[in-house]
Amino acid sequence: MILVGELSLWVALLMAAWSAVTSFAGGQMGREDLVASGRRGLYATAAMILLASIGLWTALLTHDFSLKYVASNTSANMPKIYVFAAFWGGQAGSMLFWTLILALYSALAIWGVREKGRELASWACGTLALILLFFIATTCFKANPFDRLSFVPADGRGMNPQLQNPGMAVHPPTLYLGYVATAIPFAFAIAALISRKLDAEWLSIVRRWSLISWFFLTIGITLGMWWAYVELGWSGYWAWDPVENASFLPWLTGTAFLHSIMIQEKRGMLRKWNVVLVVTTFLLAIFGTFLTRSGLVESVHTFAQSPVGSWFATFFIGSTGATIYFVYTRLKDLEAKAELESMVSREAAFLYNNLVLVGIAFSVLWGTLFPVISEWVRGTKITVGPPFFNTVNVPLGLLLLALTGIGPLIAWRKASTSNLRRQFVAPVMIGCITGLTLAVLGMRNFHALVAYTLCGFVSGTILQEFYKGIRARHDMHDESIPRATIRLIARNRRRYGGYIVHAGIVILFSAFAGLAFKKDHDVQLKGGESKELVDPLGHRWRFVSQGTSTSETLNRFVTSVGLEVWRDGVPQGIVSSEKRQHFDSNKQPQFEPSTEVGIRTSSALDLYVVLAGVRDETAELRISFNPLVVWVWIGGLVMAIGGLIVMWPQAERRRAGGYVATLEPAPSRAVLASVR
Amino acid sequence: MIDRREFVRALGLGGVATLLAPRLAAQGETPPEQGPTGQATIEGAASLTPMNQDAAKTVRRPAKPGAAASMSADERDDLEHQIRCQCGCTLDIYTCRTTDFACQVSPAMHRDVMSLVEGGYSAQEILDAFVETYGERALMAPKKEGFNLAGYLVPFAALAAGAVVLVTALRRMQLRTATVAAARPDPAAPVEMPGTATERAQLDAAIRKDA
Repeated sequence: MILVGELSLWVALLMAAWSAVTSFAGGQMGREDLVASGRRGLYATAAMILLASIGLWTALLTHDFSLKYVASNTSANMPKIYVFAAFWGGQAGSMLFWTLILALYSALAIWGVREKGRELASWACGTLALILLFFIATTCFKANPFDRLSFVPADGRGMNPQLQNPGMAVHPPTLYLGYVATAIPFAFAIAALISRKLDAEWLSIVRRWSLISWFFLTIGITLGMWWAYVELGWSGYWAWDPVENASFLPWLTGTAFLHSIMIQEKRGMLRKWNVVLVVTTFLLAIFGTFLTRSGLVESVHTFAQSPVGSWFATFFIGSTGATIYFVYTRLKDLEAKAELESMVSREAAFLYNNLVLVGIAFSVLWGTLFPVISEWVRGTKITVGPPFFNTVNVPLGLLLLALTGIGPLIAWRKASTSNLRRQFVAPVMIGCITGLTLAVLGMRNFHALVAYTLCGFVSGTILQEFYKGIRARHDMHDESIPRATIRLIARNRRRYGGYIVHAGIVILFSAFAGLAFKKDHDVQLKGGESKELVDPLGHRWRFVSQGTSTSETLNRFVTSVGLEVWRDGVPQGIVSSEKRQHFDSNKQPQFEPSTEVGIRTSSALDLYVVLAGVRDETAELRISFNPLVVWVWIGGLVMAIGGLIVMWPQAERRRAGGYVATLEPAPSRAVLASVR
Repeated sequence: MIDRREFVRALGLGGVATLLAPRLAAQGETPPEQGPTGQATIEGAASLTPMNQDAAKTVRRPAKPGAAASMSADERDDLEHQIRCQCGCTLDIYTCRTTDFACQVSPAMHRDVMSLVEGGYSAQEILDAFVETYGERALMAPKKEGFNLAGYLVPFAALAAGAVVLVTALRRMQLRTATVAAARPDPAAPVEMPGTATERAQLDAAIRKDA
């Protein structure tokens, strides 16, 4: 099976090349037979990549250490789940995994193209086959997971212990599912540009796949934060590492696109801008991969030690050049079909939102690249860490949060003064009351106060929109409140799903602002000793050490400490933290020791205990109180649920075969009365 | 539809890219790690970078006359959040030393910070001392001076420039719309929409009370 997998990879290379050539030729010459052949070539490529992947999984699970990849990333004593997940744990495997998802996505996207989109399909198929060709070629020639060693080691190196976490099984796949999905909108945008078929059909496909990408990126990024928090032991979830930034960049431009596409659907505006956002999202995914796998910027991830950088640079420059050319030569076809009527309108608010989202993307990219730029210009190496990113991005984030609340309150086309007054009064009052209450209660951190005031305002917006919608349904259809709520969401999925996403954003910002009140303490405790600490909310905590212990399990030596915990005199149970030293089959230590954090979560704050080490039977600990962290995960979940609601196809769209909303004048009172 | 000339041009762009890209990427690219036999041994696994345990240098200054501790323990911890551990972990001194004993660099740097604090040095003087020894890489964020200001200001400048362009474009659009509307006052007749679309419009109208 391993040999079959290896051969399949090479066959896939040929198939992708065939699919690209025949699809482009078929599209150019208008020959259906070539187009069909290209399409079948793409399906065959996907099948071959699937076989290659099965081959690698077989090698991993049967511990075939003759493969360099298997020997480098697994060992015989590793739990099966991590052996399975080692597929995407290393450079070469992750390249194949990326290719696998791209191949399956491509086949699905082309298979799903309906009659109307046939003209696009050949060019999209060709573009996807070209992208696949790049990834397969990179895998074959620069990062081949089937490369063999000249000898067969008795055991492998194993996997870095920090990757041996359940997060490993889910975080990378979801992130890849989001990252790779950006290729499909890109391919259809290029297809629409080449064929000049820039009508509703390409937009419908692009929107669907952009939502899929956004959905998985949201889940992937949230899971990544969770993994960093529970596994790495530095008591935080986001460090502005280049790899994190690389995943954040396409999320930002993708989010901007999902807002501005509404203006194109309803008003036929922003056609150029939307194409730019779609292609930029994909190009940022490629550029981010180049950044983190070329070693150009410093990252904690050793993906930086990788030979694929120049290939990604070539692909990025080639794709960017070709994209600029196609956009530039099609500018006339992308003229807007309508004009903006007022600068105080929903359309304008979306544009301001786009400006801030793209501005944040730029600032993240700029900060990530600034060490390189500084070295080029001054010859001096500098560090651009969290303090820099927080200084630059916190104001931009707060501006974005404000726009999250403002946008939905403004009417399409043109908002009248009375409309604005009516819409803004309640949310602004809720925001002000929130801010004032917190100030009176003693909150003095400026950024946190602004954040919570804005969170109050945006929450007010969302509540008001739901209240008005539910009340309207209740009045119009005489529905009970729960039924009206469910039907309101079910029949207006895009709008109310979007509001649920906004609710997730509010929850996230509230949690981020909570970190301003985080408290860390260095504590040294021998067995039986105790320590009292006060958390940011004024609760008194008492910790009594149960002493340290050592044990040996599966593939590691474990040193652990248990702390008996009381809060305001009430027992909270025992929190333990571990130091793990992994070993190979010969009991030889591998990797640096890793930390297992002890976490006690509540809705108000997390108690976070890290055993830094043991010296003379004294446990050296860091005890942190991290406010509101659980709301980061809840916020991510709420956003994902909102995204799922938005993605879910509306019945009328399924019937109509592609739905594009248009902004019609509101029906008259007579029409309303007749429906009642 | 694309013509042959266009296709060749697009292909040419790809060729130029092929020539340029390796130069761009070569700067940062590093070869795979070599084993004792000269054979590549380590794949680029998604793991933490190996630590450089010899990276610590001494940052000591004589104590100021009549020196007393220049800051509280909390202030010292805040200061340590601004100084980067040089082991390769990319964390600050405080976080690194309280996360893992395996690192010998951050405890050494912490001892230097303690010594300077005890010697009566201010936070800025301590930061300067670390920069003098390790270079600007010792700081978690670049100082807000000289070329570094570009790092802090360019994002805001870009956003401001974007806002100016956007507002100008919107104003022009608004003017054009007003001109067209004056010449063609009749709006399009309402179109009956099927299914839930009608319902949505009714709901919109009911919510907004614009009807």
